[in-house]
Amino acid sequence: MLRALRRVTDRRRQAEGHYGWLFNPYTGDEVVSIDCETTGLDTKTAELVSVAAVRIKAGRVLTSDSLDLRLQCPESLNGDSIKIHGLRGIDLDGGETPVDALEKLLDFIGNRPLLGWCIDYDLAVLNRHLRPHFGFDLPNACLDMLHLYRRKVRRTNPDLEPDLRFETVAKALGVPVMGRHTALGDAVTTALMYVRLGKDVG
Amino acid sequence: MVDIDLSQPPFSLLDESSKARVVKGVDLGYFDNQEIILEAGQSGEFVFIIHKGEVAELDNTMPGDQGRIGHYSAGDLFGAISIINGKSRYRFKAEQETLCYLLPKMLFEQLCQDSTAFAEFFRQSLANKTRLLIEQRSEGGMTMAGFMLARIADCMRPPLILGETATIAQAAAALDDSHADSALIQVAERFGMITKTDLLNALVLDERDKSSPVVDIAHFTLISAQPEDYLFQALVSMTRHKVSRVVVLENEQPSGVVELTDVLSYFSSRSYMVSLEVEQADDLEALAAASARMPELVQALMAQGVKLEFVMDLLAALNGRIVNKAFGFIVAPEHQGQSCLLVMGSEGRGEQILKTDQDNALILADGADWPECVSDMQQLTETLLKLGYPPCPGNIMVSNPEWVKSESGWRDTISHWIAKRDGASLMNLAIMLDAHAVAGDVTLLERLRLHLFEQCSRDELLLSYFARAALSFSTPLTLFGTLKKPEHGIDIKKGGIFPIVHGVRTLALEKRILPTSTLARLKALVEEGRLEKSFADDLGEALSLFSELRLKQQLTRLDGKQNSQEPNRVVVQTLSSLERDLLREALGIVKSFKQRLSYRFHLEY
Repeated sequence: MLRALRRVTDRRRQAEGHYGWLFNPYTGDEVVSIDCETTGLDTKTAELVSVAAVRIKAGRVLTSDSLDLRLQCPESLNGDSIKIHGLRGIDLDGGETPVDALEKLLDFIGNRPLLGWCIDYDLAVLNRHLRPHFGFDLPNACLDMLHLYRRKVRRTNPDLEPDLRFETVAKALGVPVMGRHTALGDAVTTALMYVRLGKDVG
Repeated sequence: MVDIDLSQPPFSLLDESSKARVVKGVDLGYFDNQEIILEAGQSGEFVFIIHKGEVAELDNTMPGDQGRIGHYSAGDLFGAISIINGKSRYRFKAEQETLCYLLPKMLFEQLCQDSTAFAEFFRQSLANKTRLLIEQRSEGGMTMAGFMLARIADCMRPPLILGETATIAQAAAALDDSHADSALIQVAERFGMITKTDLLNALVLDERDKSSPVVDIAHFTLISAQPEDYLFQALVSMTRHKVSRVVVLENEQPSGVVELTDVLSYFSSRSYMVSLEVEQADDLEALAAASARMPELVQALMAQGVKLEFVMDLLAALNGRIVNKAFGFIVAPEHQGQSCLLVMGSEGRGEQILKTDQDNALILADGADWPECVSDMQQLTETLLKLGYPPCPGNIMVSNPEWVKSESGWRDTISHWIAKRDGASLMNLAIMLDAHAVAGDVTLLERLRLHLFEQCSRDELLLSYFARAALSFSTPLTLFGTLKKPEHGIDIKKGGIFPIVHGVRTLALEKRILPTSTLARLKALVEEGRLEKSFADDLGEALSLFSELRLKQQLTRLDGKQNSQEPNRVVVQTLSSLERDLLREALGIVKSFKQRLSYRFHLEY
């Protein structure tokens, strides 16, 4: 509810702006799978470390034309998160500034629907960075792979409580896990899950 | 994000920057079970590299299972030919849920332009691909590792020890008797060494007397080693001390000698040693020991990347020598000249790799006087059994009186077979056609073979009956489709080896070609103008490939890693993608050869 209201105001405010087109309804058949690696799990403080996005079109994951951005080393980068995503301060040398990165991301995804694994988390972090610089939240329609999968399992096996860890879901769908805990890897794996699930339904 | 195995051909032919372009340039595609990935006639937009899953290649103009052209699984690549030709000839259909990398047409064409080796890969004939495979295998350096790990005890020979009082003449005689190069002289608790060179120098240069004691010229500073030392250590100390033998000491007692030639021939897969052992064997035990070493020899030669053709030649010669020796031990010399021992079947063609069943027969000269022939032959069969040649299940052995006949008896039998023309007779003819003389009077076989040619080669009807057997087993390409579980496989002997061997045999019968090995027959057929050279080469390569796959299967069984009941079954999924590719092409060649045969001998119905 709050989100819908916010979108309406954002849209009105941006109507004449550079990013007005993002608010137009999407008519194509593509979906963009995104994933972020961050410095923590708290959406209020986590900083972006890397962002990746890959397009899905007609059942194909277009890895050849994907976006994989490293950002400048944020101050909150510490050992705990490095252990997960494996990007050290030195690996982020020469990374993009958050503003540049977000600009590229917006250009890449356009107004296509977004797909992600627990996408609410990624959205929250992205929006927290977007709002101060661009003045709006991502207006795109969102698909959460986790929900899609849970819904499908519930529909076919109502009694089963599905195991909803990323790896197990990938295994259950017969999708290889590619580069776990790298932004692009997770984005591609999620995209494959989506394609796989879509085939099953259709 | 892309984990294609770029170390396999064709991608291994690309340079680093092109490999990076491949990794960056591919998309991922997911195809459902039974989904058509590429339709016949559709233009190719991608090269597909399977990451997971299985895909069948179908010719939809053919009914049912006959239309199956190929089968691809993880790591395989397809669709490249469709791009080169502009459109796909066949339909590609997913047989499982399949995940593919899609390499766009543009990028593929660029890669082909930039790297001629890469482009060539897709235009190569089978022969070239085989070469690639062999090169790849010999890079493995398996024998090198085997050599590095060999212990001295594996390679040493027992020492020849002479007493303190031995004279030069006695030493020379002892060395000659035992085919040795060096001997040890025991003086109280110490040992000295003499070599043939020492004896020569003493006699010629120092002009010593033959009866002077050998102790004076022996060397007492010995280079020694322990039996559990590595063989290369022995080689190192030989090089360091500039000697060509080391003495192996166990508890201060010499237990053996390692000579440089032994080390080197051990390294060169010991082929020299086995043939030497066969020649030196003067009783059955020694012969059996030498004969037991042959599988090991095959393994080593194969690992070195020696071409199968030459391995087969070497083994045929060795097996021939072993059987010849056994014959010599059992049959009295006066009977040897009156008879001719034949080996037949794959052994006659010189194409068996490991020991195959004894398929043998005996021709007696007309008027030979040999009453105890039956018992002698019984004994020969038992001896060969001891030497590790299993009995023939069809009882085609000299212990069976059916296969021991006089020359005129054989002529009658052959004429009878030709007239009868039923399955068993045709099989016997085929067996006889491959016969190869290993011992006794060779001219007996030559005359018999001429008789056989005389009777058969113009008899079109017989040739047609004879050739039909080549088509009797359906092409295993159709079996690919039923490979749902890895324990299923294709029977490489029925599907690949037999049609080639039998077809070539038929053509050889028609053209009266004397050599018995399939490769030699192919060569002769090319010279006769019966087959074009490129096709004969491809047939030969296909045959080598099948034999090699079968050999691998047999060797793993020897190692006891696998207790498969059927040595001829090759499980497609266990092969590397390049091998699978080769197998596919080789089976395709078999198919077209069968078509030629049925055209030539009118077997269409």
